[in-house]
Amino acid sequence: MGEASWQARGVVKGQAAGAALVSQTALSFLGDLDIRSGRVVGRSSDLLGESVAGRVLVLPASRGSAGAWRFLYQLKVHGTHPAALILREMPDPSVTQGAFLAEVPVLVAPEPAFWEALRSGEALQVDGTTGRITRG
Amino acid sequence: MELSDRDLALLDGAEGDAARQAMEALVQLGEAYDAPDMVEIGYAHVHAGMALYKGDVELIEATAAQGAKMVVPVSTNIANADMGDWQGTGAPEALGLLQKRAEAAHRAMGSATSFTCTPYWAGHWPTWNMHIASIESGVTVFANSVLGARSNRDGFFAVYAGMTGRYPRFGLHLDRNRQPTHRVTVTACPQGTAEFTALGYAIGAAVGSGVPLIRGLVPRPTLDDLDAMGVGMATSGGVAMFIVPGVTPPFGAEADALGLPEVEIREADIAQVFDGFCTGAEAGFDLVHLGCPHASFEEMKHYAALLTGKRVAEGVELWVTTSRAVRQMARDAGLLAPMLAAGARVVTDTCPISCHFACTCSPDPALKVTPPKLRTILVDSAKQAHYVRDMIQCPTLFTTSELAVESAVTGRFLPRRRRNG
Repeated sequence: MGEASWQARGVVKGQAAGAALVSQTALSFLGDLDIRSGRVVGRSSDLLGESVAGRVLVLPASRGSAGAWRFLYQLKVHGTHPAALILREMPDPSVTQGAFLAEVPVLVAPEPAFWEALRSGEALQVDGTTGRITRG
Repeated sequence: MELSDRDLALLDGAEGDAARQAMEALVQLGEAYDAPDMVEIGYAHVHAGMALYKGDVELIEATAAQGAKMVVPVSTNIANADMGDWQGTGAPEALGLLQKRAEAAHRAMGSATSFTCTPYWAGHWPTWNMHIASIESGVTVFANSVLGARSNRDGFFAVYAGMTGRYPRFGLHLDRNRQPTHRVTVTACPQGTAEFTALGYAIGAAVGSGVPLIRGLVPRPTLDDLDAMGVGMATSGGVAMFIVPGVTPPFGAEADALGLPEVEIREADIAQVFDGFCTGAEAGFDLVHLGCPHASFEEMKHYAALLTGKRVAEGVELWVTTSRAVRQMARDAGLLAPMLAAGARVVTDTCPISCHFACTCSPDPALKVTPPKLRTILVDSAKQAHYVRDMIQCPTLFTTSELAVESAVTGRFLPRRRRNG
């Protein structure tokens, strides 16, 4: 399977593990998610119907409202939050602020090999302090 | 990150535990966005603590219970119930009482209990080049564009900025990010705040999170027009700042926009925003809403004039939403009486999309919040229309303020008429 570990930029500190949930579409934390179930309800997302709860959510980008932080925090209050976030580009400050409050590690811009090796559903360990992503 | 002596003292707990935690969070934010240092904050517009979201009022209470005190002027954003009369809007008792707890927490921290999305109309008016933090995207765009202050589109961290007077230098706090990204030419001739929200909505849809430089606005837009245009942009796109050469503070001359992507906004584009938010039946609306964002004193004057001597039709409710301060000014000026005599309800602290009508919130089940079944809401703002669609999830009708009042009085929807051009 090649490389089993990749470097990204750690944005929100903390360690987490979970199965990868990979999207090719930008996600809005306000509107695209049902807070109580953690399910994706936004029709513009290719994750429609999937639950983000406990997953390492891998997104190209976040989009939408400055209220994103509140919805990310609400997922935490309801126990439906993702274990961690990995994004191709820096998210809006509101997403980062929500992740701090929800204690969800955030990693940005992993090295290109990560994207080639990435499979949805595989177990990942992430460290938002060191920026390390490890398979298994 | 280069930290000042006071920053370091804050991190050491010199100003208490709450301020220490706030500073730690701000340093993490700064590191995330490669901020070189912190800026001095002159004002913060912070989260209200929202009773329709489980644990959210408690989040503000926990901050206050730690002994947090605001060290700069602070206003509070819109909330989930009218704390003076939630019964009048049909909100459950438990919801109103929970929302009042947030008010007490803010008082203890020294914040103004404004509970509005337009704190500037209530007197919080930051000046040119002042760094501020704001949780409300409409406040961010007004402050950056019209007042020339410097604000990102923040989240909860605006509270931390208020508690410390500090914020990491990144985003729109830096001159290099306050430059135009698009050159927008307006050939339409919008009149009144409803049309300016639609113009802004069309611009935001075209430029995303860019900084549009806007030409062609003749005559010079009023403060209310600029406010309406800004919230429209912040709703359809992620716009945090716009530039109107000769009108807004000098962050970009017209020449700076040469060679940038061009956007033209025609009458047809504005008409399309209105048409797109007319999804309800013309005789089936239960609620007419005026005042999104929360009405200014000038708008209250306009609404009062439109309603004087009129009577809202049977079976229709008319809400005018504003801030506590503007309502008091309107009362003193004799503007409330004709509105109330016409059967209108003047609501503060909240609005249709922010109150218990929204079905996308996550209240504690113990509050027993059941959103009422509404057939259609008629509005005079593209922002309100957008969020009625997404959060209340009922059909909308969108027209000008004048025709919205006439619709409320006749019980039949009067759509905005297209202009030539």
